[in-house]
Amino acid sequence: MRLSTRVAALCVGLLASHHVAATELPQRWVSAGGALSEWVSALGGESKLVGVDTTSQHPEALKALPSIGYQRQLSAEGILSLRPQILVGTEEMGPPPILSQIRNAGVQVELFSAQPDLPALQSNLQHLGKLLGAEDRASKLFESYQQQLDQQKVRVTKAQLSLPSPGVLVLIGHAGGKPLIAGKDTSADWLLQRAGGHNLATHTGYKPFSVESLISLDPQVLVFADRALSGEEARAALFKENPILSSTRAAKDGRVIQLDPTLLVGGLGPRLPDELKKLSDGFFPGTADQ
Amino acid sequence: MLRTQNLQIRRGRKTVLTDITLELKPGEVLGVLGPNGAGKSTLLGALCGELKADHGNIWLDEHELSHWIGALRAQRLAVLPQVSTLDFAFRVEEVVGMGRLPYQSGRVRDDEIVAAALNAADAGHLHGRSYLALSGGERQRIHLARVLAQLWPGEAGQTLLLDEPTSMLDPLHQHTTLQAVREFADRGAAVMVILHDLNLAARYCDRLLLLEGGRPVALDTPERVLRPDRLQAVFGLEVLVQQHPERGHPLIIAR
Amino acid sequence: MTVLVKPRALFIGLSLLCLLAIWLSLALGPVSLPLLDTLRVALRMIGLPIAPDGLEQAELILGQIRLPRTLLGLAVGGVLALSGVAMQGLFRNPLADPGLVGVSSGAALGAAIAIVGGSAFGGLPEAFGPYLLSLCAFLGGLGVTALVYRLGRRNGQTNVATMLLAGIALTALAGSAVGLFTYLADDATLRTLAFWNLGSLNGASYSRLWPLLLISAGVALWLPRRAKALNALLLGESEAGHLGIDVERLKRELVFCTALGVGAAVAAAGMIGFVGLVVPHLVRLLAGPDHRVLLPASVLAGASLLLFADLVARLALAPAELPIGIVTAFIGAPFFLYLLLRGRA
Repeated sequence: MRLSTRVAALCVGLLASHHVAATELPQRWVSAGGALSEWVSALGGESKLVGVDTTSQHPEALKALPSIGYQRQLSAEGILSLRPQILVGTEEMGPPPILSQIRNAGVQVELFSAQPDLPALQSNLQHLGKLLGAEDRASKLFESYQQQLDQQKVRVTKAQLSLPSPGVLVLIGHAGGKPLIAGKDTSADWLLQRAGGHNLATHTGYKPFSVESLISLDPQVLVFADRALSGEEARAALFKENPILSSTRAAKDGRVIQLDPTLLVGGLGPRLPDELKKLSDGFFPGTADQ
Repeated sequence: MLRTQNLQIRRGRKTVLTDITLELKPGEVLGVLGPNGAGKSTLLGALCGELKADHGNIWLDEHELSHWIGALRAQRLAVLPQVSTLDFAFRVEEVVGMGRLPYQSGRVRDDEIVAAALNAADAGHLHGRSYLALSGGERQRIHLARVLAQLWPGEAGQTLLLDEPTSMLDPLHQHTTLQAVREFADRGAAVMVILHDLNLAARYCDRLLLLEGGRPVALDTPERVLRPDRLQAVFGLEVLVQQHPERGHPLIIAR
Repeated sequence: MTVLVKPRALFIGLSLLCLLAIWLSLALGPVSLPLLDTLRVALRMIGLPIAPDGLEQAELILGQIRLPRTLLGLAVGGVLALSGVAMQGLFRNPLADPGLVGVSSGAALGAAIAIVGGSAFGGLPEAFGPYLLSLCAFLGGLGVTALVYRLGRRNGQTNVATMLLAGIALTALAGSAVGLFTYLADDATLRTLAFWNLGSLNGASYSRLWPLLLISAGVALWLPRRAKALNALLLGESEAGHLGIDVERLKRELVFCTALGVGAAVAAAGMIGFVGLVVPHLVRLLAGPDHRVLLPASVLAGASLLLFADLVARLALAPAELPIGIVTAFIGAPFFLYLLLRGRA
């Protein structure tokens, strides 16, 4: 065969396969997982989402979509009423009989890992990319994400040469009241370690602390996340409900950093590197541009 | 026939009833008298099987009472307790109808008996009312009707035990109740009734058992039991005993 | 109080209500199915030869999702109401509720052990998960009730007042144990536990349904046979005994039926409150306390009520779902207060 014919055949083949792939791509998406919804939007699939769960709060536009409820307590019929072609969620999605009912109705159900590590994120992004027909964009996104995290690591290591890692406590509260402290094996712990901090809490999971323990640990930096309020309101509520916090070093030095609570669930999300940077800025003041 | 020999009941270390030998004869009304705490209710409790005897057995006909079970026993022995607690809004005839539980006599016959029993207890006019809407005295009469219905019409071989059936009743109904009980006995049933009113006991009972401190003081006809000296010893009350001008039975008058 | 409704009218009315509830439960839902499709699928299900074209979605929704859910609602509503009647008879008090003998708190404890304990062991194999949860809840309910019953027995007799106190004490104990598990749980299991405590008919499937259906049918067929004996029991235990009833055996049966029935219901659907308390009351208001009417009528009323509550649970926040325990409490509690204020309770 002549070269030009081969090239022509190749082009036709590529076009055809691309066209076929495009018509097979699911167009109506339901997402049960905040981080996943964000990645879908980052990959340009926001317009394909027809329903999301309660943890999908970013980007803002998603809040206007119909809510399918809490990701562990989904309703089969509820989801089916949105006529989706695909349901994506982490392995936390459930209850399991619901997922089989949805599969039986002909909806594609794809499970993604919620592990907060890079290999999991890479495979998730590749998978999402395939499903959205945006494989290139997916690998580019991953590369830049990895780059950002690498930069973050470098910055932290450098900062730790000149400044000690601060003792940090992460408090998760609701309108300021009764905060839980993040211990080991939590996503909050993962975040603060990547940001170069040292978690003063040694328990596992999120547990309430007695006020005395809080004071005796005397953190240098306080990181807080509030599920109900945001911004200055949240900060004010935290100190109003827990006045004893004002006697910590962190409060006195003004080293109280706010964290977005939606980052704590469902694996690594796109906004993470920026949040890590913000935390590191707070942990190692004066190293912001390094 | 319900009978017992040398019955003794203890509560802890205290002997609350002892030396009771008794036969409830068919056609006879036996009245049980005594001051508070004399053991009257204990005796009734033992005779109907609610209290376990420490000594002596209770026999119903040829078997021990404890060997009679279920409907067979219920068809021969009925008990009217001192107080009844029913917190649900049954209709009067439904409550009386529960007395027919041990039988398979059928709806029609049961309704007839319920109506007759209500009339005997002078509560026929309460038919259709809610039990919860009745006064204490009316409720007491309904329960009397119930136990009457349980043994209706009353015959030899059946025993009726009543614990103070007149305690909440007005004078007229005290008499109509005991009259109904009397008629039951006249048809052959054996009746034992605990009473506080000495005059009622004197009028309606064939024999009287006088208890004091758990012991039988006397067991005989009213004329022989109701003597001033004895009554003063047991009740601590000075009385005159005269004869009822029309009926002839003893009439006890406090001095 | 005169009886407002004659038994025959009551049964006809309740049966129609129940049929309406079943129909609405099948016909309505987040997915809107054309009425004709629903009818055709329903007819197909009873065996009539109707062509299946275009009915795949309807058959899936109706057959796999709505029908098992309806059956679950019928069974749970019926058995909870029936147990309420049984307990109100046992304690001779119209304010009694199946939870008094500890079966609900025991089931909650069993579920907490399964949920939190299961995750502590690195999560149960997925196939096992739901069965283990139901089994633990069921055994927990039976276990605590058995203990309460045992504590109430002395000299071969069951003292109902003692049982009541034992039930209160064990409920408190089970509650604090659940609290401990709550403390030990991580975020995810905490949520699962919280939702289980709110009750839901979601995720009903035939394979998990049949034990409950068997037990509910058994209890529903057995208890009405003891209706006359239950009536007499209300007079008092000794009075009932003198009427020829084996009172100890009756009390045993009542406790056993409640433990089995409520245990199975809670195991299948989580904690759903107020049905056992409110439904018998409602029926008594209409038709009086005679158990010959009360028992079967309560089954119909309880089943209907729960199906209507489930409709609200499914549709109020569609496509999300409200836990049904919230709906029954929302309706039940104000109604109960109303009854108290009116002096009928």
